[in-house]
Amino acid sequence: MNLPNALPPIERVLFTAEQIEERIREVGARISADYAGRELKLVAVLKGSVFFLTALARHITVPLRLDFLAISHFTNQPGAPGLVRLAKDLDDGIEGEHVLLVEDIVDTGFTTRYLLQNLAGRGPASLGICTLLDRTSRRLARTPINYSCFEIPERFVVGFGLDHKQLYRNLDCIAVIKPE
Amino acid sequence: MARAIAQRTGCELLTRRVLEDMVAADFGNREIPGRAWLPLLRSAIARLAVDRHVVFCLEGGEHLFHGFPGVLCVLVIAPPSRRIGAIMVERQLDREAAKRFLRERELEVLDERKRRFGRSHSRLHEFDLILNEQQQPPEMLAGVVEAAIRSHGLLDQGMLSAAAEAQVQFQARLQLAKYGLTPPDRAPTERNGFSHPSEEIFARLLDFYRIEWQYEPRSFPLQWDKDGHVMEAFTPDFFLPVFDLYVELTTMKQALVTKKNRKIRLLRTIYPHVNIQVFYQKDIQDLIVKYELAERASAH
Repeated sequence: MNLPNALPPIERVLFTAEQIEERIREVGARISADYAGRELKLVAVLKGSVFFLTALARHITVPLRLDFLAISHFTNQPGAPGLVRLAKDLDDGIEGEHVLLVEDIVDTGFTTRYLLQNLAGRGPASLGICTLLDRTSRRLARTPINYSCFEIPERFVVGFGLDHKQLYRNLDCIAVIKPE
Repeated sequence: MARAIAQRTGCELLTRRVLEDMVAADFGNREIPGRAWLPLLRSAIARLAVDRHVVFCLEGGEHLFHGFPGVLCVLVIAPPSRRIGAIMVERQLDREAAKRFLRERELEVLDERKRRFGRSHSRLHEFDLILNEQQQPPEMLAGVVEAAIRSHGLLDQGMLSAAAEAQVQFQARLQLAKYGLTPPDRAPTERNGFSHPSEEIFARLLDFYRIEWQYEPRSFPLQWDKDGHVMEAFTPDFFLPVFDLYVELTTMKQALVTKKNRKIRLLRTIYPHVNIQVFYQKDIQDLIVKYELAERASAH
């Protein structure tokens, strides 16, 4: 396991690097089969999805393009943006393209719903979702997930792109952190 | 966008659903004739406007207070692609089905506007401000409306005066008399008062993601005595109309939620069509960690 110098407050490892690699390979193969004969655009949501995106893209065999989005974050602080909005838009249009939104985690589904609404309005030929982690037990917004690598329990997890106060994204495993 | 405007200006938001619920609360399941809607809605909004600033949002709303001082009338348009995209996601439809849905919905709206307000289309000159969502995000357009509100001094003018409200109610009563409808005298005075800071945070989170919510809108009777009186009821904290989902937040320790879990199991048995999601203490704690809200939450 690849740990940074300052040890994160890990309670237990949920998925090892090997398990993640194996599962992403399986999902990549499914995506390759489903999109056979078509070009695909992977749209990743910064920053958490970057690790998953690069791992996933290596296991997809159809021609693909990459693009990135970032959204503003809810902070509940006075003066903070009152509404979710795109902090970084796609570099290129997606009209007529087959688009797969790549997420690190789908939890309540609020963020994914917003992004889907935003992307669907741009006229893609198809629009799907692929997520590394899926926490269905906490889902409030109905979001049709096309590809999910792991279902996770109701615990706060870090690693493989997921952070806690912007730390621990670079863990090569996915781990539950100790409650503060 | 209406929610963002209300949030930025500290006004109370009255959505179409809220307004129709107010009418339903006054008149129950009684069928409301089309032409009675205008005076009914005007009466309901005026009752609230005497002690608070309001943002109301509904198709045909420009007919309600046209020419009234202290009112800013805004029309927001969006390109079909954006509206179709929203429907695709909301209804989980493909593009063609979403286009059909939008066409049908537009026809319904035109018909309803005609029945309620006598005209199916808006007259652009009746609006003070017309905004297009094609290029600008809703957040930015909400800022434009806020600037217009402030530059007109609407928030400094005070609420609707008692005399003006009485005049509106008098006119409404005259118009409603021919339908045998009498609006209530007083405004509902209670406002959303959250019983726990976590509920307020959750409401703000919903606002952030533009998800319409209602706070404790309905109680579900769970047990009755032999005479049919309700002995026990359960009132979920939130209702999210767009998902047809009730949400209950519980901040009690896991060991203490047994009683609440029993009520929720009972609710699911008696009302199997009701969707309810429970957020337990650890879920809320995760939200607080995820959004780094600890200082804010503990400050309450």
